Amino acid sequence: MRTFEFSAPETVDAAVAHGRAGATFLAGGTTLVDLMKLEVLTPQRVVDINALPLRGIRAEGTGIRIGALERMADVAAHPLVRRRFPVVSQALLDGASQQLRNMASIGGNLLQRTRCGYFRDPASACNRRVPGSGCPAIDGSNRMHAILGTSDSCVATHPSDLAVALVALDTWVTLRAADRERVIRLADLYRLPGDTPQALFTLEPGELITDVVIPGLPWAGNSAYLKIRDRQSYEFALASAAVALRTEHGVIKDARIAVGGMGTVPWRLPKVEDALRGKPSGRPAFEAAAERAAEGARTLADNTFKPTLLKRTIVRALLELEG
Amino acid sequence: MSSPLGTPVDRVDGLAKVTGAAKYSADRSLDGLAFGYLVTSTAANGTITAMDVAAARRSPGVLGVYTPFDPLRIIGPATNRSGADAPLQTKDVHHYGEPIGLVVAETFEQARAAANTIRVSYDVRPPATSLRDGIPTAVEPPMRDDEPAVVTVLRPGVPSIEAALDSSEVVVRETYTTPTQNHMAMEPHSAVASWKAGALTIYTANQGSSILVPQLATAMGVPADKIHAIFPFTGGAFGGKFNTYAHITLAAAAARELNRPVKVVFTREQVFSATSTRPDTVQNIALGARADGTLTALRHDAWGTASISRPFVELSSHRTSRRWYATQNLEISQRVVPLNVPGTSIMRAPGEATGSFALESAMDELAWKLGMDPIQLRMKNYAATIPGGNLPWSSKHLDECYRIGAREFGWDRRPREPRATRDGNWLVGTGMATAAYPAFRYPATMKVAYLWDGTAEVSGSTSDLGTGMTTVLALVGADRVGLPLRRVRARLGDSRLSQAGFVGGSCGTASVGPAIMAAVQAATRQLLTLAVTHADSPLHGTPIEDVRYESGQVRSRRRTVPFEAVLRATGSPRIEGEASAAPGNETRQYEMDCFGATFCEVRVHELTGEVRVSRMLGVMDAGRIVNPKTARNQIIGGMVWGVSAALHEGLHYEESGRLANGTLADYLVPVNADIPDVDVHFVEYPDLIHNPLGAKGIGELGIVGMAASVANAVYHATGKRVRDLPITLEQLLD
Repeated sequence: MRTFEFSAPETVDAAVAHGRAGATFLAGGTTLVDLMKLEVLTPQRVVDINALPLRGIRAEGTGIRIGALERMADVAAHPLVRRRFPVVSQALLDGASQQLRNMASIGGNLLQRTRCGYFRDPASACNRRVPGSGCPAIDGSNRMHAILGTSDSCVATHPSDLAVALVALDTWVTLRAADRERVIRLADLYRLPGDTPQALFTLEPGELITDVVIPGLPWAGNSAYLKIRDRQSYEFALASAAVALRTEHGVIKDARIAVGGMGTVPWRLPKVEDALRGKPSGRPAFEAAAERAAEGARTLADNTFKPTLLKRTIVRALLELEG
Repeated sequence: MSSPLGTPVDRVDGLAKVTGAAKYSADRSLDGLAFGYLVTSTAANGTITAMDVAAARRSPGVLGVYTPFDPLRIIGPATNRSGADAPLQTKDVHHYGEPIGLVVAETFEQARAAANTIRVSYDVRPPATSLRDGIPTAVEPPMRDDEPAVVTVLRPGVPSIEAALDSSEVVVRETYTTPTQNHMAMEPHSAVASWKAGALTIYTANQGSSILVPQLATAMGVPADKIHAIFPFTGGAFGGKFNTYAHITLAAAAARELNRPVKVVFTREQVFSATSTRPDTVQNIALGARADGTLTALRHDAWGTASISRPFVELSSHRTSRRWYATQNLEISQRVVPLNVPGTSIMRAPGEATGSFALESAMDELAWKLGMDPIQLRMKNYAATIPGGNLPWSSKHLDECYRIGAREFGWDRRPREPRATRDGNWLVGTGMATAAYPAFRYPATMKVAYLWDGTAEVSGSTSDLGTGMTTVLALVGADRVGLPLRRVRARLGDSRLSQAGFVGGSCGTASVGPAIMAAVQAATRQLLTLAVTHADSPLHGTPIEDVRYESGQVRSRRRTVPFEAVLRATGSPRIEGEASAAPGNETRQYEMDCFGATFCEVRVHELTGEVRVSRMLGVMDAGRIVNPKTARNQIIGGMVWGVSAALHEGLHYEESGRLANGTLADYLVPVNADIPDVDVHFVEYPDLIHNPLGAKGIGELGIVGMAASVANAVYHATGKRVRDLPITLEQLLD
């Protein structure tokens, strides 16, 4: 860990004023401190935002507004979240460990860095960490890596479970900078790696997530998150699926599907959603729709199983949701 | 008074451990302590051409920067090591993550920050990092057991093992592989070293000061009596703290150089690369049998990685197929492939854990092929002697383990066919395997003292690796002196105590237990002599043959006096006896092993292939059980390791030698959610031929066979045989 300047402002205005180039915001610290110890991230200034008034989990119409500093554990346990968006609560509980969930913030969760072993190892090349240095994962150890949204410069998997659930729900985030506030779709926060994998987010320097807004979706009470991984807790997804279904008289009227462990960003699957609409709810429709999930996938030497696993995970999630 | 020996008791040091009062090595702080941070190589084979340490030397708080260009003095070879690690003595590197530097600073954070500024240039040579690629050029290793690398036993008239296989009615011939593993003890390696007047005090967890002290003395170039090692608590070892790694030699050498105490703690990543590993293996097994299940031939060829820096032979075939089943024709072999990978060494059940995965999977495959129950097949080939041998076992109740296990687990209700049971989309299956582990015992010396305050003390230089050894010392002592456990104190983990030997190979209790028994006799003799000879003793003048000691009392025909009264009256703060015990002729007259059988039930998701273990049972034959509570804990721990080996663990090297997953985030071990309720049953037959206490080893037995048990259950659930560990879901996706 390198030496750095530290400040702990108490207002959002002061925080965004501090958050100029070379600075990073510290919330729960569960990613940042880790990466600073590894010297993967070496900020000159750390701005501790924990004193900011970015709290609260409130109904907003039939949706929910969540302050960016709410802790994962508190959001997962909140009755409103559990009732309106069970997929969000489940995705949170499937992430990290209880200790980490007690610390990690919602805003930080959405900005967590990839678990790619080359990214986390400063002795390795990595185009995300050192642009132009190369991507050893493409011909290296890549079982956990992405098959969707990859490029020749980066195949790292987006790690957040929460983001997958929120992208399925068309979530918005509020961003504050020194001179403005804007609201964007969470899906638009993330950038595909392309040939600039170092640019992970569409955030401007100093911009701070203040709120996460899940818009109302009355039928999202029928939603679930399924995570498939190498052990049953405290491990990132090999595959995951956030699914929500609205059925009437056995016919699927609407569906939301997003998947994790597969993409370089949280991956929504509109073609699978389209394929489900209007079909009789059941395994044949789920399997037929899931066939479209891996379109455009580019597998790597160690993860050729992922397209199959992806389809199976969606089918299983839908079957379990259907009960 | 009834003895606490054999009753389930809490660890005597449990409270200290759970309250944080127990001081592990890294918890030690000394006046003027400086902190060392290790620098490791990022090449696996080659020569360091330059190390730019200018920025590190200028960094705040830095006291010393040591590299092969400016080394600390440590004596020892760089390759083919069996003694202490001697880093910095050569510019050659032999594996990725090898210690190549140490930065010492006023704080840990300063040392780490400075170490991260060091830039290293290498002249890199292509490393050898693949066991499979090396098999064609594998070599027969020097063997540490008394048998050669290739052992052949043939019935008279049979020309070769292949001829025996050719004439067998049924043959199973398969290849099994197991990956590299790391011990991954909860406590990472640490050492605190302090010199005074040419003598070194070292606080470091280890598996025996009888190994540590002479190795460290050689490395430091000082006589062994100048080294005092202190290690009352060890947070898990499993073979991983048997050797004297660089944290110890670097801390000691830096402390000498700087003339102030130095602490070195490895990061978890450094534990992976700078200590040692269980070698990966490739094993070919061929089983020949008659249609009735009688084994007619058993061939087991094993290859394992031997690190160039610290070589080791994982005795996969010699420690399993050599002695587990009756067969008239047997051939086993061990070969090694030298590779540019981190050190290889012993890890919990070295040989048995890997070998049993291959042998017990193959036995399961043979049972299916024969249409025979897997337990029946094992009973059909139950060994009364080892193949070609004639010595009886000192004690063997494996048949009872199978029987009790089958009954308790409900084995009879198991459908014969695979893929026959389901629960929704989960496929359910059960499997079992044999376990066996040699019953080792080594010479040990222990001391027992009676104290003026009415307590007794049992002491020796042995180590408590987290197994409960401290409690074992107190229990055996309490049993022999006839006092309640609370009146007996145990001391260990200090090289200046009686020389109790090392702890490894599950030998601890069987080695020190008899020595404690002998030491109690010696101490009691001293006590009785004092009681009758000292003028101030209440029993003064009683003929020695008329006094005896019993349950805290010294008795003559006329009087009964508490021992502490004798000590107080005679002004003796303590009276003690030291004694040694060692194995004898019985080792040449008997085969000695511990036995067991493990059973498990798994559920495999039909769509996504995840394996979940839903039930486990271990039935163990390990002689007398001294503390059922910690014994059960040992077996459960071993079985959890077996699940881990089956489903989670595997350290992978890239072609460059880089560790692909050498972090605790990427090298998976099970979490609580992966482990169901585990049931453990002991069949308790004290083995008094093995040693007078009758206890045998339990530290390693639980892991043996468990991975095969899981793999066999996966086969029963799915009809798919996985022969490469760990079993991951992609191997089970149709």
